[in-house]
Amino acid sequence: MAEATLPAAAPKRAPIKHKRIGFWRSILRIFRELREAIVQALTSLVAHRLRAALTITGIAIGVGTVIAIYSAVAGLDDSFAKQLSMLGPNTLYVSKWSWGSNRENWWKLRNRPGVGRGDYRALLAGAKLPEAVAPIVGTQSTVGIGEHELQNIDIRGTTDAFLESGGFQVKHGRFLTSVDEEIGTDACIIGADLEDAFFKNAEPLGGRLKVGPMSRCTVVGTLVRKGNAFGQSQDKVLILPLSSFGRAFGAKRSMTIAAVAPIGRVRETEEELIQVLRTYRRILPDQDDNFTVNRQDKILQSFNQTTLALKVVAGLIGVITLLVGGIGIMNIMLVSVKERTREIGVRRALGARRSTILLQFLCEAVAVSCVGGMVGTALGIGVAWFLAQVTPMSAAVSPSVLLLGVGFSIGTGLLFGIWPAASAALLQPIEALRHE
Amino acid sequence: MALIELQHITKTYDLGLSKVHALRDIDFNIEKGEFVAIVGQSGSGKSTLMNILGCLDVPTTGAYLLGGRDVSTLADDELADVRNLEIGFVFQSFQLLPRASALENVELPLIYRGVSPRERREKAKAALDRVQLGDRTHHKPTELSGGQRQRVAIARALVTDPSLLLADEPTGNLDSATGEDIIRLFLELHAAGNTIVLVTHEPKLAARCPRAVRVVDGLVVADGEGQRVAFENQRDIDAAAAAALAAQQQMASGLSQREPGTGAHHG
Repeated sequence: MAEATLPAAAPKRAPIKHKRIGFWRSILRIFRELREAIVQALTSLVAHRLRAALTITGIAIGVGTVIAIYSAVAGLDDSFAKQLSMLGPNTLYVSKWSWGSNRENWWKLRNRPGVGRGDYRALLAGAKLPEAVAPIVGTQSTVGIGEHELQNIDIRGTTDAFLESGGFQVKHGRFLTSVDEEIGTDACIIGADLEDAFFKNAEPLGGRLKVGPMSRCTVVGTLVRKGNAFGQSQDKVLILPLSSFGRAFGAKRSMTIAAVAPIGRVRETEEELIQVLRTYRRILPDQDDNFTVNRQDKILQSFNQTTLALKVVAGLIGVITLLVGGIGIMNIMLVSVKERTREIGVRRALGARRSTILLQFLCEAVAVSCVGGMVGTALGIGVAWFLAQVTPMSAAVSPSVLLLGVGFSIGTGLLFGIWPAASAALLQPIEALRHE
Repeated sequence: MALIELQHITKTYDLGLSKVHALRDIDFNIEKGEFVAIVGQSGSGKSTLMNILGCLDVPTTGAYLLGGRDVSTLADDELADVRNLEIGFVFQSFQLLPRASALENVELPLIYRGVSPRERREKAKAALDRVQLGDRTHHKPTELSGGQRQRVAIARALVTDPSLLLADEPTGNLDSATGEDIIRLFLELHAAGNTIVLVTHEPKLAARCPRAVRVVDGLVVADGEGQRVAFENQRDIDAAAAAALAAQQQMASGLSQREPGTGAHHG
């Protein structure tokens, strides 16, 4: 009787095996979910073209601005480095003027005695360390052949030692010799711009040029082209022997004396120059120098300070624009999460873990910002190129800046995508499924 | 060992001011290979029960043993894995991803267990073949009829070869002829050895299932042969519903007598 009331079908005793996701499977799963998340992200971008395009524009403007400014500053750096390389890294320049000095001590410097031949001879005789000592005087004047004249040409008077102080290289012919200086020959060496202007299809060596109002000279050498620095040609130059320069333009000019220090002994050489000149000029121990020994790294210092300020400003602008772009990303991601709440619920029901949902929406945010970063990089390079074309500034696009631009945009995507993605991941599956 | 053992399950929602006892003491088993309807009016707690059965939610007290493993205390990620490995969901409103093709929809659960793209494709195709949609693999949900969409959803539930197929009002959004097709498909799947739990408020649907469990106010009030359980309490319930309706109307009319501005107070 009792047996009859039992259910007809006895419970099946079939063993039920636990299903598990194995270790390697769970590793593989990460990659397969990532792949899926990337595919989903791109699909979503294409599905919401306009929305994505607007957000991408925001990021692109930010990244583009940063890259354009950095390229311009880098271009400035480059042309400055070029300019400096003309001076030679081991060359010291003795002058009445102090490089990079401010307006306040202008009067003080102005009243110093000029550096002259006496100083030059004192250094030649007294300074043992310099490998070469070259006096340099300069002015601007006209140069021409017959009616064909060029204005504002840099005329320099110097000696054979000038070549060693760095910057210029002889292309054809020869440089000045000690003989040119001693007997004051009419030899001259011309820069590439002058060679182009006067000897387009002719042999420059042996050519006769009119220099300044009175004198004439014979071309004995040409210089290798140096290009532009700060939008100014460095090749509009003509070099004469110091003695001939004095005859043509007056001998009582304040000069700069270039002294080439042996490599690694720049400081010692500087000390020696100062000692020799103080002795020659009879400066008492308690008096200040009435001349300055200039070094290129002094200019470099003040220049770096200026560009550093520019870089900081550029960085700030970049951070602000990326912030705005990032808020745009957060906005569309929040909308996207809201719109796809049910989808999130379905995915969760089908076995997506919180991390899977997080990954999916982070990928979407990064996809937007990454595309924005790439567009912005292209934009920035375009602007930099345009600047280089239409302004005297040169722009240099360095690969590190590109990495920085794309890296920053991805970082923005992550930073501003994390909140919407987390809010998606934290949704309760039941509520998400019920969402209308 | 039963596939599903529900041991004194309760579920209480804390709404701050009041507590809602959605499930009070649910205690029954489902064997492997059974086809069970859980039937009840809306508000009876059957949806809560379904959420717990589907590991979308955990009970407040009691134990839920799925295949002998207590899943009522698992962490969120572990529950996600259980859902993926053990349970296939079929929803009333199909819940397909609108931008994905039928095939991609069916592949979805396989991604979450790390199956390779090639294997996913093969399995999804096989699952679609099984629901006679082998020729619609690249159609988007919008290009499919309601019945076809539900078949895609069933294929998506089957593709993981789950221990339990959990269907929530699967015919609720379909006309009766299409609904009948879906019921037949479930019966076929049951005949092929699948364990199916179907949640519905329709006695007619419950009557088609070999076994039905009736839930009222968070308690199982009847459990047995589908045809018997589906209709046996119907008269009681109808009476209760009529009483509730009458009470509601009384209250409404009571309220309408106290329109603001009349100033009348009932002592």
